[in-house]
Amino acid sequence: MLSAILRRIGLSFLILVLVSLFVFVATEILPGDALDVSLTDDDLAVLTPAQLAEMRAALGLDRPAAVRYVDWLSGALVGDFGTTILTGAPVGDIIWGPLRNSILLAVLTTLVAVPVAMVIGIIAAWWRDRAPDAIVSTGAVVGYSLPEFVSGNALILLFAIWLPIFPATITLYTQGPMLDMLVVAVLPVATIIIGSIAYLSRLLRLGLVESLASDYVERARLAGVSERRIVFVHAVPASLVPTLNAAALYVAGLLSGIVVVETVFAWPGLGLELINAIRKREVAVVQAAVFLGAVGVVIMNLMADLSIIALDPRVRRNTGRS
Amino acid sequence: MLLETTDLRIGYLDGARNMKLAVDGVSLALDSGQTLGIAGESGCGKSTLARALMAYTRPGSRIVGGQVRIGGQNILDLPEPGRRAIRGRKIAMVPQNPLSSLTFHMTIGAQIDEILRQHEGLSKAAARARSIALLEATAMPDPAAVHGRYPHELSGGQRQRVVIAAALACQPDILVLDEPTTALDKTTELKVLKLVSDLRDRFGTALIYISHDLNVIARVCERICIMRDGKMVEAGPTRATFAAPREAYTRMLLRAVPRTTDPSPVRPPTAHPAPGGPGAHPVLQVENLSYHYAAGGLALPFFPRRKGVLAVRDLSFSIRAGRTLGLVGESGSGKSTVAAVISGLLPPGGGTLRFCGTPLRAAASRRSTDLRRRIQMVFQDPLSSLNPRLSVGRILMRPLRIFFGMNPIDARAEAGRLLERFEMPVAMLDRFPRQLSGGQQQRVALARAFAARPDLIVCDEVTSALDVSVQDHVLDLLLSLQAETGTACLFISHDLGVIKRVSDDVIVLQSGEVRDAGPTDAVFATPRHAYTRLLLEAAGSVIEPIPGHAPVSPASQGTNRGDLHA
Repeated sequence: MLSAILRRIGLSFLILVLVSLFVFVATEILPGDALDVSLTDDDLAVLTPAQLAEMRAALGLDRPAAVRYVDWLSGALVGDFGTTILTGAPVGDIIWGPLRNSILLAVLTTLVAVPVAMVIGIIAAWWRDRAPDAIVSTGAVVGYSLPEFVSGNALILLFAIWLPIFPATITLYTQGPMLDMLVVAVLPVATIIIGSIAYLSRLLRLGLVESLASDYVERARLAGVSERRIVFVHAVPASLVPTLNAAALYVAGLLSGIVVVETVFAWPGLGLELINAIRKREVAVVQAAVFLGAVGVVIMNLMADLSIIALDPRVRRNTGRS
Repeated sequence: MLLETTDLRIGYLDGARNMKLAVDGVSLALDSGQTLGIAGESGCGKSTLARALMAYTRPGSRIVGGQVRIGGQNILDLPEPGRRAIRGRKIAMVPQNPLSSLTFHMTIGAQIDEILRQHEGLSKAAARARSIALLEATAMPDPAAVHGRYPHELSGGQRQRVVIAAALACQPDILVLDEPTTALDKTTELKVLKLVSDLRDRFGTALIYISHDLNVIARVCERICIMRDGKMVEAGPTRATFAAPREAYTRMLLRAVPRTTDPSPVRPPTAHPAPGGPGAHPVLQVENLSYHYAAGGLALPFFPRRKGVLAVRDLSFSIRAGRTLGLVGESGSGKSTVAAVISGLLPPGGGTLRFCGTPLRAAASRRSTDLRRRIQMVFQDPLSSLNPRLSVGRILMRPLRIFFGMNPIDARAEAGRLLERFEMPVAMLDRFPRQLSGGQQQRVALARAFAARPDLIVCDEVTSALDVSVQDHVLDLLLSLQAETGTACLFISHDLGVIKRVSDDVIVLQSGEVRDAGPTDAVFATPRHAYTRLLLEAAGSVIEPIPGHAPVSPASQGTNRGDLHA
């Protein structure tokens, strides 16, 4: 079991290194280097080649790409993403606030969406093909199909303009106090979880319907085991196994949805910061933001894998042996 | 009377939303300590009946009439909690497939404990002690350790013991066993049957044993009911019923059971006998065939890959035109590997293959089209080997067009002739595999193989999924086609009765090694290896009437218990 866990963690690190290489190469193969990209056409017209070379040397851009990559990676692994070219500010300082805000959004979403989706999924599976299932299934299709910019703006219209309970846009800067962030997070979280709950509850319902119709559930029923135990001890853990991997992939895909939500609400998160950095052509910030996004995806998948190892003894043994 | 049903009727809604009866007016009675067998072919309603005895139906079906009385009380009158209190305590079920009937993420112990705690309110420690004692009663080795293991860590036979222990947890008065050994090997089945008989003697439990296998019922049950289309067609003492069946259906079932004492293959005489027989040329010669399964894991430098498991070792045989070689063994014996190597699906690890005198290239993809035509294969599950999106006509026309370049009109006419040869109406050309019965599907698969006019046909467990009466028909067709075409056949089966019926020669495989080989008559009459004797004993028919004899219980058969968990 331990070797299975270590294998998963090792694999995650390997994936992160590959992603970082990909990000680095992707920014490297673009025409011009980080300096060319960062400077405006006006700057380029004014500066002499000698001045440019001097600036390159100061930024370390004259060194071979491989050296710069290793340098960047060894820094990134300990949270040091270098400095921006234009202002010379440490990237870590720029990215830290948005990162915290994005994590806050992700954690709040997970804390609300997962339990609600589980309850709804269990209700739908238990009353399969009856009224509750039909209501949940219809609601899920609507909720899943609703684009975030529609639901987000609808929520703003409802709860910020007609009923002024929450602020329409967020005026807090990126390092706003945690408690204030919590209050303004309500509408963005509500926007994200509409789709998440719809998708996750469908996923769980599917797995649960299958395990409730399985031979082992029938055997337990015919042994007189109570329905509550059958659902919560036998069927739900079994249905989580196929659900978790799909859920991790979904949450990973959610990152793109979060960018939309952050734009709609002007939520000072990593997605918005990434868009700003691209606009301002701050290569180092783009690299850091994309890398951190990849870290998020890898962590989600790792957590799903580890939960499956905890839930399914068959996986434990198979990976433990080979 | 301990258990009594009167005029029990169970209905379900069919595809067109019409109520159909799966069980139609069944009345039976069982007293404590008695054994009753319920036999019938698939779809006759025997499993539905078994579940209804516990006032349980699967979603989509329900009990529409009649009574089920346990100890005089009609349990169908009880509300759900009352029914649940009876299930597992007064009447318990051993389900069909032990491999899928245990919750994979719970330990063995947790799944027995919960029954004891539910019904008897035992403490955690008391339940655990009882569970271990129960596992011990089923002759499980190291019961305390098994209590903490997960289902996938046990073999099929061991899992069946767990399921039996769970059913016996609260010492129920009645134990319903629904095809409990169908998923197991024959030698394992024999041991489980002995266990069931032993436990019945020990706890005085009444048994209802449901099976399609008349042999198994004859070993265990004093009385038998034969079901067909939801109705009980015949009932009586097992011995008397088998000795003098009243109903034509029962006689047909008894006749269809293949026996190891049957005469060697009888191929019907044909107008144009094909060349073949003892003097014919060998079609396939195999010498010293070996096969290792590939090792697991990544091929990393500095880490030697673990050596794969040996599937077949040093197997040599030859098959002549018009003759059949039977390959018999239990699951994991390597018999399907042999089939895959010969048909080119797996590369041989060692040894030589010669086909009609010329060396045979390894991979099917590297064999010529004509060579692939001459070796055809038929699998166990016809539904998964027939393309679901092609009509029967298209399925049969494909080999005709690919191998013989026939135009569509000729190919369709030939496909029709093939269907008729396999005793199916030409109209079936436009049906799809899913619309056919299991027997029809397998006949289409055989017809497709014979459409290529092969020299050798490899049949891998082709009748294992079929009912005995259907199996009988398919085997008859195979024998007569072989007589007409002179095709050589490698016939793989775990069923010695079937092997005896179709094979001229036989090879007994165990763990990839040859245990016995020779003409089928000789091997079955005087088996040399202990394993062959064990297989023959497990397959031995006990349904022949033996005057003045009680039904033979497995206990009196003296099996060796030693390698039970191998």
